[in-house]
Amino acid sequence: MNAESIVGTPVPRKEGRDKVTGRARYVDDITLPGMWFGATVRSSIARGKIRKITFTPGIPWDEFVVVSAKDIPGKNCVALISDDQPCLAGEAINHPEEPILLLAHPNRHLLPQAVAAVAIEYEPLPALFTMEESERQNLIIWGSDNIFKKYLIEKGNVDSVWNQAAYIVEGEYTTGAQEQLYIENNGMIATFDEERGITVWGSLQCPYYVHKALMKLCDLPENKVRVVQMETGGAFGGKEDYPSMIAAHAALLAMKAGKPVKIIYDRMEDMVATTKRHPSRTRHRTAVDRDGKILGGEIEFVIDGGAYATLSSVVLSRGTIHAGGPYYWPNIRIRAKAVATNAPPHGAFRGFGAPQSLFAMERHMDRIAAVVGISPVEIRRRNFLKSGQNTTTEQTIHEPIDLEQFLGRGLALADYRAKKEQFRIDNQSETRKKGIGMATFLHGAGFTGSGERYLASVVGVEALADGRVRVLVSSTEFGQGTKTVLSQIAAEELGLPFADVEMAQPDTEAVPNSGPTVASRTVMVVGKLVQSAAHGIQQTLTAGGFLKKPYSPGEFRTACAKYIAGHGELKSWAKYEAPPGIFWDDEKYRGEAYAAYAWAVYIAEVTVDLVTYSVTVDDFVALQEVGRVLHPVLARGQIIGGVAQGIGYALYEKVVWQNGRMQNGQMTNYIMPTSADLPPIRVYFEELGNVHGAFGAKGIGELPIDGPAPAIVNAIEDALGVPLNSIPLLPEDIFEALQDRVQEEHFRATQGVE
Amino acid sequence: MTAERPQSEIAFEVNGEARTVYAYPMARLLDVLRHELGLTGPKEGCGEGECGSCSVLLDGVLVNSCLVPVLQAEGTKVVTIEGLTQNDGFKKQEGVNPELSMTALQQALVECGGAQCGICTPGIIMAATHLLRKNPTPNAGEIREALAGNLCRCTGYAQICEAVAKAAVPERTR
Amino acid sequence: MKANPADYELVAPRNLSEVVALLAKQPGMWLPIAGGTDLMVQYSAGKLAARRLVSLWNLPELRRIDVADSEVSIGSGCTYADLREHGVIEREFPLLARAARWTGSVANQNRGTLGGNIVNASPAADSLPALLVYDAELVLISMRGERRVLYGDFHLGYKKTLLAPDELILAICLPRRFSRYLQYSRKVGARNAQAISKVCVAALGHSADGSVQDVRIAAGSVAPVPLRLPKTEDAIREKPLDAALLRMARQVAASEVHPIDDIRSTAAYRSAVVGNLIVEFLQLLKSEARRLNALQRWNRLSLESAVQEALPCCGSQAWARKLAERRPYTDFASLIAASDEIWNRLDELDWLEAFSKHPRIGDREAPTSASSQSASWSRQEQGAVADTAEQLRSALVEANSEYERRFGRIFIVCATGKSATEMLDILRGRLQNDEATELRAAAEEQRKITNLRLEKWLSQ
Repeated sequence: MNAESIVGTPVPRKEGRDKVTGRARYVDDITLPGMWFGATVRSSIARGKIRKITFTPGIPWDEFVVVSAKDIPGKNCVALISDDQPCLAGEAINHPEEPILLLAHPNRHLLPQAVAAVAIEYEPLPALFTMEESERQNLIIWGSDNIFKKYLIEKGNVDSVWNQAAYIVEGEYTTGAQEQLYIENNGMIATFDEERGITVWGSLQCPYYVHKALMKLCDLPENKVRVVQMETGGAFGGKEDYPSMIAAHAALLAMKAGKPVKIIYDRMEDMVATTKRHPSRTRHRTAVDRDGKILGGEIEFVIDGGAYATLSSVVLSRGTIHAGGPYYWPNIRIRAKAVATNAPPHGAFRGFGAPQSLFAMERHMDRIAAVVGISPVEIRRRNFLKSGQNTTTEQTIHEPIDLEQFLGRGLALADYRAKKEQFRIDNQSETRKKGIGMATFLHGAGFTGSGERYLASVVGVEALADGRVRVLVSSTEFGQGTKTVLSQIAAEELGLPFADVEMAQPDTEAVPNSGPTVASRTVMVVGKLVQSAAHGIQQTLTAGGFLKKPYSPGEFRTACAKYIAGHGELKSWAKYEAPPGIFWDDEKYRGEAYAAYAWAVYIAEVTVDLVTYSVTVDDFVALQEVGRVLHPVLARGQIIGGVAQGIGYALYEKVVWQNGRMQNGQMTNYIMPTSADLPPIRVYFEELGNVHGAFGAKGIGELPIDGPAPAIVNAIEDALGVPLNSIPLLPEDIFEALQDRVQEEHFRATQGVE
Repeated sequence: MTAERPQSEIAFEVNGEARTVYAYPMARLLDVLRHELGLTGPKEGCGEGECGSCSVLLDGVLVNSCLVPVLQAEGTKVVTIEGLTQNDGFKKQEGVNPELSMTALQQALVECGGAQCGICTPGIIMAATHLLRKNPTPNAGEIREALAGNLCRCTGYAQICEAVAKAAVPERTR
Repeated sequence: MKANPADYELVAPRNLSEVVALLAKQPGMWLPIAGGTDLMVQYSAGKLAARRLVSLWNLPELRRIDVADSEVSIGSGCTYADLREHGVIEREFPLLARAARWTGSVANQNRGTLGGNIVNASPAADSLPALLVYDAELVLISMRGERRVLYGDFHLGYKKTLLAPDELILAICLPRRFSRYLQYSRKVGARNAQAISKVCVAALGHSADGSVQDVRIAAGSVAPVPLRLPKTEDAIREKPLDAALLRMARQVAASEVHPIDDIRSTAAYRSAVVGNLIVEFLQLLKSEARRLNALQRWNRLSLESAVQEALPCCGSQAWARKLAERRPYTDFASLIAASDEIWNRLDELDWLEAFSKHPRIGDREAPTSASSQSASWSRQEQGAVADTAEQLRSALVEANSEYERRFGRIFIVCATGKSATEMLDILRGRLQNDEATELRAAAEEQRKITNLRLEKWLSQ
């Protein structure tokens, strides 16, 4: 293999063979000798106090190990940002499905009946189930005001723009919760012994998050907690924070039982008890001039955090920063808050706040266009951020992105203009109405603001005596291609064949903390560190006279063998350093919010069948600029997969709530798209290159879920001429909206209103 | 809890080998394969026949093993992902290390990016194998219909379908 | 998995008489289980009350389809896959074949049985409205003997049936008298596959001289049981197919169903959609009547005139002649079937003749002209767009000429509903084909074009 061609080529996925032959080992595939099984007793009410717990007869309770909050050796919390979420409820219950007790038994089949036989008496308290109820503050369920976090972004002077405006356009947009619905349910195995402490193996994204949570919960030092990631069957953010909870539960049971304990959630438990995407409400008030140019605006962005703070502050942050879209705002005020309700805490899901606020922004752009009387294309064209202009946080865009040209390419790929005109004509006679709509957007890669600086990620690369190279990172593979792409980067940097690079299993005993695997940061941030750690190996060998450039893989092997014979081992470390000139003000929320932005134009073509009110997406064009594409097949897979989830978010996936509990916690009733539901998703890349990321790559993972929902809803509005401002948008909702229109027309006709 | 029923002796052929297990007749075939026989390729994604991750072939017919009481598998031939080899999995091929051999379909899935997190992959492969045996040259619509019982959250299915089409091509030229 | 397998008993008798004897000995004690697609779901959720089950899976007496002159008898243990793959069912009872295809996934169709679906008695089951409109009868068996009941009488209430505790469904019998009817069904689910119906309608209709002669309509998910709609049928039968009828049918249907709000949908939506589906059915009946008129006129033409009239649908002389020779056709479906069969058996030269009658894609596909765009758009933007659109057009022209160089004929694709970029993608894909594969691909596209044109021609 020509080493120079590794980056940018479709090398086979590192763990691909294991996955297609069924050999890959996920946590539920592991059985330890003497292993017991654990289960969780959860609250059936949304808010209240536990009065009494009764173990009803008929169950051989003496065979079970039972853990309650009293058994927790350290602090009863799932340590994350603020430590407000208990690992097990002591007395107070704050949401349905809150963990109260843990049970373990050697026979897994006895657990469900035992869980059902624990009778809990509560003193119920009033609860809050909507953001509006929470905002009213008639009842306080968290802190002093039900608010987990607030942000304010102020740029220019918004108050001065209203009287210059030709139009003031207002709109309110809402988005629903979305379940990550990874096909592998959550699961953990824990063991405990006095000498080694706790070891957990599990399905997870962030080994060091779990590590930190276990140390605090069990009051153990760093070296007495070990976290190992097993093959992970999908995550999408859903295994960012909640695995710390499950690991804690398994560990507590293992400590008390003196046995290895495995906890595997079934689908319903996973759906009703673990995190989902935050529901949101966004209000826009925008001043535009006669030509549709934005003069300024106010955006209020509110997300429902559920019962505990968990990740809401950071989800809110990303949503807030993305709320202005890829447009130039001379003046803007964004007020954002995350509020508490008595639902299970909402958490991370691909996009992390941005899909919510961008849905609103992109719907609102179409609304502004309609008010001004120009096309959705033109409104965007007139307001695009240009290279040299700055964002809502006053971050200047330095890269040569030309969004007008970019949009032009997208429109051509989708045959936008011809189709729009054709549909307008055809729709006059058809009951199947067609429409075409777009979303233009951006997504910041890596942690927000100073986040990467605080993380201070460390990466290692180790060369072995046989010339193989091992990458040491805590960055996890859960389908995105972490193992493959980081191996490509190391191979490319060292001039070695792809097969000579292997990835260490993420294991806190063996790999350094390269940060969590979130925020589209792995390729861009961690990849860059892998590149420099790999470079360090090369430097050590060349500086020590073991190797001379250019070299063959054989010469590299010989050099490694010689070096290791003399020095014992050959490892190189790299630690994150912020690129120069980066400034971020956490107080004012101003400055360089992200090291890089990916840009995109998505165009959806839909048919709305007025017989069933159902929407079919007929064609989908996804054009994006993500810096250099390091692996064309994996990159395309990320985009198609993200768009598919975005289509689900827009049209299918509705969480039905009742008193804070999800009512449709089954794959039969929570509807994700099947292979028979998706259109051709046509993926195109534009590559500008980016100095920050490894070999010019930016983040890619989250971007594709931002655009589909607004593009699709814009297309539906194009087809029907009815404003639709809420997702998920189910046939029942379209039916209702059309009924409203019929009634309104009837009213106008009978009242003579024009 | 009601009185415990007796376990039964159940004999069947699994991946070409005769096997006998002692199990409760209502035990799910999925659990018997995974826990009694150590075949962890079939996965449980939903436990209600919706996601297809537990797909196996029962006498050559695609089924969700989470919905099959093991007694109904008595006397049948069961093939799991572990039983597939280059000659389509119904016999171990002479001279090929079964640990290393992959079917054209498995190879195509790796090449086309059809496996991401991999949890649905064994089920997808069983469903696609079933399709290709019944219809060696499926068109795109037939592939999408055949895989509609296998939920995949990562890929959006496109690269899976491309892989199935690619694996079908050698058949077409035969 | 919430059930403990140790709490359950399952027996698998070798033949039907043993099952029947067991049910007679302890009536109500044993719950029959066939493919398990419903019961195993309840069981895994810890919600299966019955603790003793008797397996019917694969009993040969229950897994047979007998075709007699007057009826088709389907063993209750036949799976949806069995139904899908049976020629007579596919041809004469397409609503049942279609419902089989709609039910669950391939894996579920391989296990789920028609008898199981009936006994499970879900109002949302896809096959049950079809059985209602086909006037199905059930043969029930017990130690006491066999009895035959109308399927329409079988459901007594939500999940209640007239099956006695010692009885099983032996077979489902369908009278073979509906093949001349227009057969309509549509399932409205939350997605295209693996969906539980929100509404499902099956209907049979027969019209003559612009009036409805006979009609039979049933709906699922709109009541506690699968529902036949006799009031709606009465309102439609023997009425002229006009706008007033459509309006009335919608109203009567909406008042005849009584759906509920549940986790899957709303009552208001379901009522409205049932009405819409019935209107859609009547519109099809209307256009079928129109096509039938046109077809009957064509049936009576001289051979030469008939050939000339058909030629615009497909430019092959041999095709047109053979199609005309096979007249008379009783309905549009048989015309399409004959056309497909004739086309697929033609010689390569006949295919090529048909291909040669088409204009070139790139020639007809006029590019979007910049002048049609709003004058307010800036010059720069027009430049950018026109540039890329131009690139697309020239790519299409170039790929077309490459195709012509390579295969010596123009590129044939059924363009309906496809964008220029999609067409370019298809064209580039097809350029990878070898000679023989590409000829077949082009012929298949021509077949689709022909079918669309036949429909347009007869609907004029």
